[in-house]
Amino acid sequence: MQGLLSATHDARKDTQMLRLISALGLLLMAIAGANAAEPARKATLYKSPQCSCCEEYAKYLRGNGFEVKVVATHDLALIRRDNGVPTAVEGCHTMLLGDRVIEGHVPVSAINLLLEKHPQVRGISLPGMPQGSPGMTGRKTAPFTIYSFGDGSHKVFATD
Amino acid sequence: MGGVAVLAGGLSSIAQSAGPTKEVRLVAGPGRARVVPSPHPETAIWAYNGTAPGPEIRVRQGERLRVAVENRLQEETTIHWHGVRVPNAMDGVPHLTQKPIAPGESFTYEFTVPDAGTYWYHPHQRSLEQVERGLCGALVVEEPEPLQVDRDVTWVLDDWRLLKDASISGDFGNRMDAGMSGRIGNTVTVNGRVRETFGVRAGERIRLRLVNAANARIFGLEFEGHRVQIVALDGQPVEPHAPEGGRIVLGPAMRADLVIDMTGAPGARFRVMDTFYQDLEYRLLDLAYADAPLRERPLEAPLALPGNPLPEPDVGAAARHEVTFDGGMMSGMMGGMMQGMGRGHVWAVNGVSASGHVMDPMFALPQGQSCILALHNNTAWHHPIHLHGHSCRVISRNGEPTRHREWQDTVLMAPRERAEIAFVADNPGDWMLHCHILEHQAAGMMGVIRVEPPGTRT
Ligand SMILES: [Cu+2]
Repeated sequence: MQGLLSATHDARKDTQMLRLISALGLLLMAIAGANAAEPARKATLYKSPQCSCCEEYAKYLRGNGFEVKVVATHDLALIRRDNGVPTAVEGCHTMLLGDRVIEGHVPVSAINLLLEKHPQVRGISLPGMPQGSPGMTGRKTAPFTIYSFGDGSHKVFATD
Repeated sequence: MGGVAVLAGGLSSIAQSAGPTKEVRLVAGPGRARVVPSPHPETAIWAYNGTAPGPEIRVRQGERLRVAVENRLQEETTIHWHGVRVPNAMDGVPHLTQKPIAPGESFTYEFTVPDAGTYWYHPHQRSLEQVERGLCGALVVEEPEPLQVDRDVTWVLDDWRLLKDASISGDFGNRMDAGMSGRIGNTVTVNGRVRETFGVRAGERIRLRLVNAANARIFGLEFEGHRVQIVALDGQPVEPHAPEGGRIVLGPAMRADLVIDMTGAPGARFRVMDTFYQDLEYRLLDLAYADAPLRERPLEAPLALPGNPLPEPDVGAAARHEVTFDGGMMSGMMGGMMQGMGRGHVWAVNGVSASGHVMDPMFALPQGQSCILALHNNTAWHHPIHLHGHSCRVISRNGEPTRHREWQDTVLMAPRERAEIAFVADNPGDWMLHCHILEHQAAGMMGVIRVEPPGTRT
């Protein structure tokens, strides 16, 4: 059986496990807050089992020195909620990078900016699935606007 | 605009039966249910007669069914009799076929059930929330001479997006759900509860009626250690056959009738797996054999069901219409995606993204006309496409003839897949053609086709 709240299901698909991970993320944020000198490079990317562009994005990050574990889930909406991603800036997948949240096809330059210069920012997002963004096919037709979020609100973080 | 005048009588050949009438009363209202086992709390749901799924309605083929529906919800509702070839005015589509039932009001549905088989009922008003909160139920139409089995069992399959306190997550209309695979839950239930086991006996033959009542989840069930025969799809008999790859795939709103011989040993357990989504396979439940067998060897009665009185489409003389489905994430339309999504229109049928049930028909068919719909899924997502008021033969997929020419009312289309379906437009009125991933439907993926009785052509 599959039950979110049941104790007996397979841990590999355990959504409670995801909750533990996100709770741990919060904890780490509380403890390690300002320790941005050694940015975390190990990430877990949560994606819909039927979305293929997310894998491409993981490859892109791996090519840029990140260690990315990809986890398929039906619970993206809840994972976003638990990690403070406002609905207005939802992307197609959600990645936890240490205590930070990377939503959607965010370019590495913006991730590095987040890790190196903005220790207080919870996460950043490139909403939707813009063509030509990392991991996406198609041609980029306009600069990408990347948003930061943290306390339920969001604002422009960078353009790329 | 507006519906065509519908002649009394509807399906002339089959609606005239003067059999007995079955009376049912359904009250739609808030309820509580033990979806997940204790110690977790109960879940606040919306229910028919207090339960989710609601009561299984059983009628005999050719009987009249009269269902008095009382709305004790805080919002309007309707009931759609999914797959049953009802007269248009009984189809339960808000504003298109009836005024929705206001809170505190009642409406009586009454029709003759022409076809035997497994059907279901659910609201067609804001169904993405009403169905998800628990409003659904099985409707079983019994053959005059039933299949010879030891047990006739229905599994209403559903899933729920529950929070840690077992309450239903309130994020209906989430736009990433809408633009991707729909709202897929994290808790799967059989007849309203998370189940560990389903008890069986060695030598037993079970007719298992599967109903997928989930908003968006596609099931791919595998019965480990058992040879399963599919005997009906979407209520309509099909030549008994083993499922392709040993897996019964059911998109939202689809049904399958299976016959399973319990060939395991007394005391044995076998897993029923749902393997549809890669990396998210899980065990639905175990078939748990009792210690005492029912009999030494299973029944050897024939499995084929008698046919239903469906008009056979004349494929050679059929009118042909193309229906294209576009949109969603990862489509070519990505550039305008976010803009479109802001307005809640994510999907389109023949270029139109619907914002309500009432719209100009995509095309009109004279009553009695054979018709082929060439369906094109131009998207990167699965869609169970449902036509109201008719059953259709699926005659080809991706240009290849189908082996069983199965009758369906809900045709599951894989990403980029094409399918041809054929039917006789014998049921006058305006009928929905829509995706049954309810988030897709709400985000524009529906259209209307019109069947015009003689003399109404303008
Ligand atoms: Cu769809």
